[in-house]
Amino acid sequence: MLEVQNVERRFGGLIAVNDVSMKVAEGEIVALIGPNGAGKTTLFNVIAGVLPPNRGTVSYQGRSITGLGSARISHLGLARTFQIPQLFTSMTALETATIGALSRTRSISEAREIAAQVLEVVGLSDRQHDRCTTLTISGKKRLEIARALATRPKMILLDEVMAGLNLPEVHRLLDLIRKLREDGMTILLVEHNIEAVLNVADRIVVLDQGQKIADGPPREVLTEKRVVSAYLGDDYVLA
Amino acid sequence: MKCTWLDWHRLDFVGAGILLLIAVGLPLAMEDRFFLNLLFLVFLYAGLASAWNLLGGYAGQFSLGHTAFFGIGAYSSTILYTFSGVSPWLGLCVGVVLSLTLAFLISYPVFRLRGVFFAMATIAMGETVRIVLLWSREKVGLPYGISINFEPGFLNMIFSNTRGYAWLGGAFMLLTTAICYLMTRSRAGFYLKALRDNEDAAQAVGIDLRRYKLTAFLLSAGLTSVGGTLMAQYVLYIEPATVFNITISIDLALMTILGGIGTIFGPLIGAAITLPLQEFLKDWLGPFGAGAHLVVYALILIGIVMLLPEGVMGLLRKLRPESRGQRHA
Repeated sequence: MLEVQNVERRFGGLIAVNDVSMKVAEGEIVALIGPNGAGKTTLFNVIAGVLPPNRGTVSYQGRSITGLGSARISHLGLARTFQIPQLFTSMTALETATIGALSRTRSISEAREIAAQVLEVVGLSDRQHDRCTTLTISGKKRLEIARALATRPKMILLDEVMAGLNLPEVHRLLDLIRKLREDGMTILLVEHNIEAVLNVADRIVVLDQGQKIADGPPREVLTEKRVVSAYLGDDYVLA
Repeated sequence: MKCTWLDWHRLDFVGAGILLLIAVGLPLAMEDRFFLNLLFLVFLYAGLASAWNLLGGYAGQFSLGHTAFFGIGAYSSTILYTFSGVSPWLGLCVGVVLSLTLAFLISYPVFRLRGVFFAMATIAMGETVRIVLLWSREKVGLPYGISINFEPGFLNMIFSNTRGYAWLGGAFMLLTTAICYLMTRSRAGFYLKALRDNEDAAQAVGIDLRRYKLTAFLLSAGLTSVGGTLMAQYVLYIEPATVFNITISIDLALMTILGGIGTIFGPLIGAAITLPLQEFLKDWLGPFGAGAHLVVYALILIGIVMLLPEGVMGLLRKLRPESRGQRHA
């Protein structure tokens, strides 16, 4: 479904993402993890079309989306959320989701119906007429997901959706992610919270200092020597 | 712009009815030329401020260069009418085409800028148009000021009765308000609010920023140009120092902010407050020395903005917070 090939992205002399390739199959939940500064967010932004790569290609459903720009990528059915919620501050939750739905229909009333549906899915129906700035962090993150879902994507990119949430909130969000997958959604998560990811991801890709150091099922990946040393330092690697 | 007519609220009909009544009925109810003149100016500026609001309010692109389109509108019709006898109605269309062309060309550099930088670039645009006019005036032998001969007639867009101008202004106000209204009820209007609130998020849900900003800019520039033509036909005399004066841009922004930026009625209310206030202060404080009324006018404006940071419409919204599903937790 999504294929990243030999992507390199530099900022001046710094190579943030260095020759990374990865794939996400249809219906799969893949988590992209790594310590701070590993290049996760940069890679995410390259995939979402915010940053063009210096080298390499990104393709979605068999067609190249390299450097296409986030608006057109969204129209192709690849949606995203933001790590720090980027909401339409003057709008209510319903209006925010309506903006997403308008990319599939010109009719305001139809878009509003779609918006109400996706708010139901993420569990925000009771707050739909509240200004989005009054929502809790968890609410804002779920509204981000609702707005992305309203564009009717086939795949969704989630940028650290669990960051800043407490345990019950994390569990609700994991339930939501599983539910989305049951409905046929393909999901790529960028995550810091390894424990949460273990429970939901089919596969984990680990980045460290811009390079891919592991790719495989969660339990296997997390026992790999290079992954443990990247996160905890060499002292913790079991002999 | 496709609209969902089923979405009309009953309140919208009430608002449209009141506006129609004001635009058509108020000129009929007035006899005094002073008030009819004032009414024309209020209508004209209400329309101009609404046009500014399309770009500055809904799209959040704070332009201070609208003087350029106003002046182009005034000059296009006046030059064509006084030197070639072309009807100002046709001149108005020529002005609109020129303004749209300028807006389209200038959009490429200015839409790369955000916030204050956008405002500064638009000021530069306005000044450039004025300076180019002053420079080319000498080359083609155009007089500094141009007087329009007083030959009343609908085709000449000149009226012997001030009431005719009041209606003309009223029609202009209705036109711009209707366009603003249709905008807010269409996808374009929703998208403009979205990109004003957050450009990154707007792009992420597939909004083509340039396309929608440009739509707002073109509509805004074209309508401002129409207003320029109307003003020239009313004053019957134009010169660069007045029709290309940057205070026009500032006044439009001021009225809109005062009434309520990004709302349909805000610009109308703003124009209806500031222009009469200025006139009456001039009348009352005239004996106290030149400029005394401006000092008091400025103090009153500062007071209003401090008390009502969201304009008069913001106050009205606060007075009925539970209506229209606008619940703020």
